[in-house]
Amino acid sequence: MPVVTLYLDRLQRLVGKTSKEKIISAIPFLGLDIEEQTNQYIRVEYSPNRPDYATDFGIAAGLQGLLGIKKGVVKLDVKRGPYQLKADQSVKKIRPYVTAIVAKNGNLDDETIRQLITLQEDLHFGIGRNRKKSSIGIHDLDKIEFPIRYTTAAKEHRFIPLGSETEKSISEILENTEVGIQYGKLLENAESVPIILDAKGNTISFPPIINSALTTVSTSTKNILVEVTATDKNTAEDTLSVVAATLQNAGFLLTSVQISGANNTTPSLKTKKMSLGVELANKILGLKTSSSVILAALKKCRLDALPKRNSISCTIPRFRFDILGPMDLIEEVALGYGIENLKPTLPQSSAVGQKNIVTKQLDLLSKIMVGLGFTEALNSSLVSKNIQYGMTNRDSFGFIQVVESKSQEHTILRDMLLPSLLDTLSRNVHEQYPQKLFEIGTVFSADDTIKEELSLCCISAHKDANYSEIKSILQSTLKTGFNIECETKTSTHFCFAKGKTADVIAKNSKVGAIGEIDPAIVENFKLRMPVVAFEIKLSGLIFN
Amino acid sequence: MSQVLHPIEKKIINALKETEKLNIEELEQKTDLSSDQVRRGIEWLKLKELADVIESQETKHNLSSSGSEVLKSGLPERKLVHLLKEGPKSFDEAKQSLSESDFHAAVSNAKRNDWITIDKDDSTTKISLKVQDPPQSAEEKVLQEINQGNFDQNALYHDKSQHEKLVGYFRLKKLGLIEEIVKKSKTISLTEKAKDIDTSQTDLAEIDVVASVPATFVARAHPLKEVINEIREIFASLGFTEVLGNFTQPSFWNFDALFTPQDHPAREMQDTFYIKDSVADKIASPNQIKQVSKSHKLGWRYNWSIEEAKKMVLRTHTTCVTIKYLADQKPDEARIFSLGRVFRNEKVSYKHLAEFNQVEGIVVGKDVTLRDLMGLQQEFYRKMGLPKVKFWPTFFPYTEPSLQSMVYNERLGKWVELFGMGIFRPEVTKPLGITKPVLAWGGGIERIAMLKYGLDDVREFYNNNLGWLRTAIQCQ
Repeated sequence: MPVVTLYLDRLQRLVGKTSKEKIISAIPFLGLDIEEQTNQYIRVEYSPNRPDYATDFGIAAGLQGLLGIKKGVVKLDVKRGPYQLKADQSVKKIRPYVTAIVAKNGNLDDETIRQLITLQEDLHFGIGRNRKKSSIGIHDLDKIEFPIRYTTAAKEHRFIPLGSETEKSISEILENTEVGIQYGKLLENAESVPIILDAKGNTISFPPIINSALTTVSTSTKNILVEVTATDKNTAEDTLSVVAATLQNAGFLLTSVQISGANNTTPSLKTKKMSLGVELANKILGLKTSSSVILAALKKCRLDALPKRNSISCTIPRFRFDILGPMDLIEEVALGYGIENLKPTLPQSSAVGQKNIVTKQLDLLSKIMVGLGFTEALNSSLVSKNIQYGMTNRDSFGFIQVVESKSQEHTILRDMLLPSLLDTLSRNVHEQYPQKLFEIGTVFSADDTIKEELSLCCISAHKDANYSEIKSILQSTLKTGFNIECETKTSTHFCFAKGKTADVIAKNSKVGAIGEIDPAIVENFKLRMPVVAFEIKLSGLIFN
Repeated sequence: MSQVLHPIEKKIINALKETEKLNIEELEQKTDLSSDQVRRGIEWLKLKELADVIESQETKHNLSSSGSEVLKSGLPERKLVHLLKEGPKSFDEAKQSLSESDFHAAVSNAKRNDWITIDKDDSTTKISLKVQDPPQSAEEKVLQEINQGNFDQNALYHDKSQHEKLVGYFRLKKLGLIEEIVKKSKTISLTEKAKDIDTSQTDLAEIDVVASVPATFVARAHPLKEVINEIREIFASLGFTEVLGNFTQPSFWNFDALFTPQDHPAREMQDTFYIKDSVADKIASPNQIKQVSKSHKLGWRYNWSIEEAKKMVLRTHTTCVTIKYLADQKPDEARIFSLGRVFRNEKVSYKHLAEFNQVEGIVVGKDVTLRDLMGLQQEFYRKMGLPKVKFWPTFFPYTEPSLQSMVYNERLGKWVELFGMGIFRPEVTKPLGITKPVLAWGGGIERIAMLKYGLDDVREFYNNNLGWLRTAIQCQ
């Protein structure tokens, strides 16, 4: 989850009349997790559904509500401006939607610029789906001649990209720059790419890859143009609304940009209305409170609310697109009411609970194994191919693999438990012998579909370990636990030594294998003791 | 003096009374005890101040394989002597008979031993014997003594007259003809106190009740399994019935049914384990698929793909099991729970595992509330022995409202984040025909188990370190 750094002096200034202590203790009640705390700053993690909390401006607005300093909706006040942006038909195929807004007469200090960059990055990653769905460009308005045009350009098109001193062609940017390589694939090798040009023909932006150096924002920038390009119109406006709200909170005056062409229109950043039933809110939260209490709670969450018969009419700012319906409003009521004021109640139930029958049987089996002197080990279901196949000297085919595992230790689903237990022994050679271990776990096999079965593996290593010992354990386990008789029939198995292994037969079918571990495998695992083991499938044997 | 002695100790004392000083091997022979028993017995006697142990180091010498050969065939200088017995030889003649390398060693050593003279005239250089039958050289003496086993290196250091032999010894060692084996040994003797002990008089009925004994380890269930069992018991006692499900699941139940859009970052390969080349055949009923698809199109505005929903994943939470149960059974009232392994494609570290256990409880009922959910949490933690609980708002994609619980940990002296909870979103329940509110809560079990066992590294649960498994205290 994304993290934002909040400098306490600055945050206190933004929130207004309150103490830092009050701010810090209120932060978790906005749904923000404090990750790190020093005297100067705190680092908080916010939920991706609240991108307006990506900056201290948004968090300050939330805190003002919760601390009762300012309540109700922060309305976006957009003045009509002379600015025009026109989209060409050619963008339809590649990145069809564009939207923009102008923010004027503001002040940018270093920290504000840093906050805006974090906001931009988090929006790119979150609702922008790594710039695929939407991406943002923030520009110095005074470097731009209007009207501007959203169009496409060939790969030979040249301009000076942000962070460069010389002109580069689109191809060079895509092939030789870090952002080009990282995000170029979003353009899917299209012959022409999206581009924003101003009236003089200067390139402003090459979305979703990079802005031009010409319009770079600095601490001397007073007026800003924000443009968003997207594959979905709603996402474009969602994204723009968050940046617009943040800039307004930062002291800028919002001014509209008229947008036209290729099904694009000037964005409407109006609030939306939603109705919430008083009874529903009380029912879900377990409260019996009046509509005025609910109203007050909603206002503390920076929403507007008016009573309307048995319900409440709520006004929701454009950037709160996380609010989809009444349940989201009820959460706002809970936050405004104060989670700490909701007293837990224990609901009565006549239901009789119970563990699953399979779980019960496994518990019993575990108790029997412990009674027989075996200690339980736990290994992962996702194992390494080397231990499962290489170390047990068998050909690796037919295994079930996961895609792009971050760890070499966890790449395939195990088809038997024994290799992991051999590995366990191998990592404990310095511990006192005898070592007797068992594991009960799921094993996987692939046919048309993936089959999951429960398996029991039992292993014993000490200087006198032998076949009779482990066979006796096997028989005793099945007989005492489940009244199952089993036989052993001469066989061969890759894990066990020739002439010292058998199939385990129970209920007229083969359920597993037993034997002395093959000396070559004992050697592979660097074990210095004889090892005997059995492994049997429990599914079909003690469960149906 | 009455002293309680173990039979092992008595045997050792008796042996040392017969022979004043013995090493471990000798004691084994004389007492008929195993080397382990002898070692243990000596440790006990040492603690009781009845035995002295002097550790010493003995150096033994052996001929190497090339040394044994030289003993048979003679050193190069001796070979030269044999050759010269036929009469003086030129350098070339001698070289022909001896090998090139032997020749140089032979000449220089024979010269040093003062066995030969070398005469040069204009054309040739002749070697001849000075004495007809030169005596044994220092090197030859050393070789012979080592072979016979009566070589004493220490004696050479202390006797000036033996200096030449010492030099010979070092030369042979440098040539790799002899090997040095250092053997450490312990010589055990009785202390004065022990000499007075009459082993026959010590009371045979008495045993040493103070002496330390070898450790015995109890066989046991895995500590994590014990916590899991405890959690299952608590759920059952709160009226919850357990449902089980597969580890491998179609994306449909793991994600789509929970209103997670198909382009959501959590669904990417870097967070979720997809099973290679595995597609579910039948994922859900046609109506379930239709309704879920509709809810995605409406709520997230994109083209929902059934192919994406069919991709098999390792479940990332147990919610896929509970939601399928609810969708299939559509109960008006229920208390169920699901517990088991879940998977995340994460780098394994002290706080993250790729595979861990999760439990999830579900309450369905027409009158259930958020406060009930909080109450159930509190009761669960109380039963787990965690009495201090508080709640904070949080966000989960498929519940609204959502809360997280914090419990106070005395050992760490701070609040620790545990289970999350919430009420299933209507976008989740409605398409699946679930009409009553559903309370859901749960989280990772290893976190709780870490608190119980005082662990700071979650990997310990799966290391199967016997040292820990055998000694972790059961009652926490």
